[in-house]
Formats: sequence, C-alpha cells, structure tokens
Amino acid sequence: MSVMCPIDLDREKLKSEVRTIYAKVAENPQGDFHFHRGPEYAARLLGYDLVELDALPRIATAPFAGVGNPFMMEALPSGGTVIDIGSGAGMDCLLAAKRVGLQGRVVGIDMTDAMLARARLGAAEAKLPQARFEKADMTELPLDSGTVDVVISNGVINLAPEKQKVFNELFRVVKPGGRLQFADIIVGTELSEDARNNIDLWTG
Amino acid sequence: MIEALQQTGFRNVRVCNFFNSFSGTTKEGVARKYGVQGANFVAYKAG
Repeated sequence: MSVMCPIDLDREKLKSEVRTIYAKVAENPQGDFHFHRGPEYAARLLGYDLVELDALPRIATAPFAGVGNPFMMEALPSGGTVIDIGSGAGMDCLLAAKRVGLQGRVVGIDMTDAMLARARLGAAEAKLPQARFEKADMTELPLDSGTVDVVISNGVINLAPEKQKVFNELFRVVKPGGRLQFADIIVGTELSEDARNNIDLWTG
Repeated sequence: MIEALQQTGFRNVRVCNFFNSFSGTTKEGVARKYGVQGANFVAYKAG
C-alpha cells in the first residue's frame, strides 16, 4: 500500500476506528474478528515458540494480533533499549524484555487504553520491570532522539495514515548504528482509489 | 515501504520473511485478491 494517505480518507476517523477495534480485541480476545489472535496462532503461522508464549501471562498473549515475527531477525542486545510501536497487550514487549534482561529497557507505545492496561498488568505478573508502556501516537514518540537500539513492531505501521511521519520519527529516536526490525503487511497489487478509501480494508 | 524507509535515511532495507497471516480468516479471499501477506522487515541507521 502506498505510504501516501488517500486524499478523501479521514485520518482522525481511521485512527478512531483502529482504536475502537483494538479496544474490543483487548476487552474480548475471543470475539468475532477478521484476523487471527493469540499465542496458538503466533506459533502456528508466525513461527513463535509456543512453550515460551505459554510461560507468559495470558492477559498479554491472548489479544496478540501481529502479522509476522520480529524475533526471527537479529538477536536483541542484552542491556539494550528496545521500543515496540503499537505494543498492544504487550506480548512482544515481554519477549523483548526477557531478551534484553534487567539492565535493558523496553518501551511499548500504544494509543488504546484497554491494551495499555492489559500490558501493564502482564508486565507486573511476569515480573519484568524493564518493560514499561506509554500512551502515545507513533508520529510523536515520548523519547529523546538517538536513544533506541532497536525498534520492533508487528502489524501496526500499516494502520498509520501518515507513514512518512512515522518513519521520520523512528529515524529520530534510533541511535546511529541502531535498526528497525519489524513485521507488517505487504500488498502485492496496486490498490484502486476505492480500496484505498475503504476504512474497513485498513482496519481488517 | 522499502523506498520510503530508504528515503527517510535508513540503509540495507530488506524483507526477510513472509507469512500467510490471513490464512483461515474470513479475509483470506481479500488477502489473496490483493496479494496481502505478513512480512518481516529490517532497516539500519548508519553509525
């Protein structure tokens, strides 16, 4: 999908729809949605280790709705600083926290209150104090420039109507020598204008 | 996505893995129609 937002798409309406849908996922992960959720899906289709996921609090794993696996690429640095854009209920953040260790830092960024609540409870239950969660828009990160070793994300950046702003912000916060390793949706065909303006297709 | 990341200033941007993220969902047909898949990306900031 093009990074340029369709002319007629209401950006605030799109953000509101995304927030609404993911609040519903947080409140009822077993509900009727058009996309997979949960640790069993993550293991079956995305290559996560189910044993590792089952060791995490269910409050964090049940609403997981990622589309790939950021942990398949380079190992996260022990003691490093990692941020997760669109952290949801925190499953990937908890996995990242275990990898960076107590000397590291993981910051989950999300705009949905219900997801943030689950994520904070999950981190406490998992006893991973190095993971914290902040409410923010991914185009305005509450982080100083050049402080992040690795940015992860899973199926979120595609939901942003202004992706270039997101990329610019990620470039700002990543340290020289740092990296992005994230999962997202790719589209194999050029979308029609009608398809680009269809919020239902954006939100799944 | 790749071009936009490169234009932002990231280097060695590439897709590493693909996933049939919508297999078995009610959107599987739409995903197949538009060639929608999950994918892993990596991109580096010069040090």
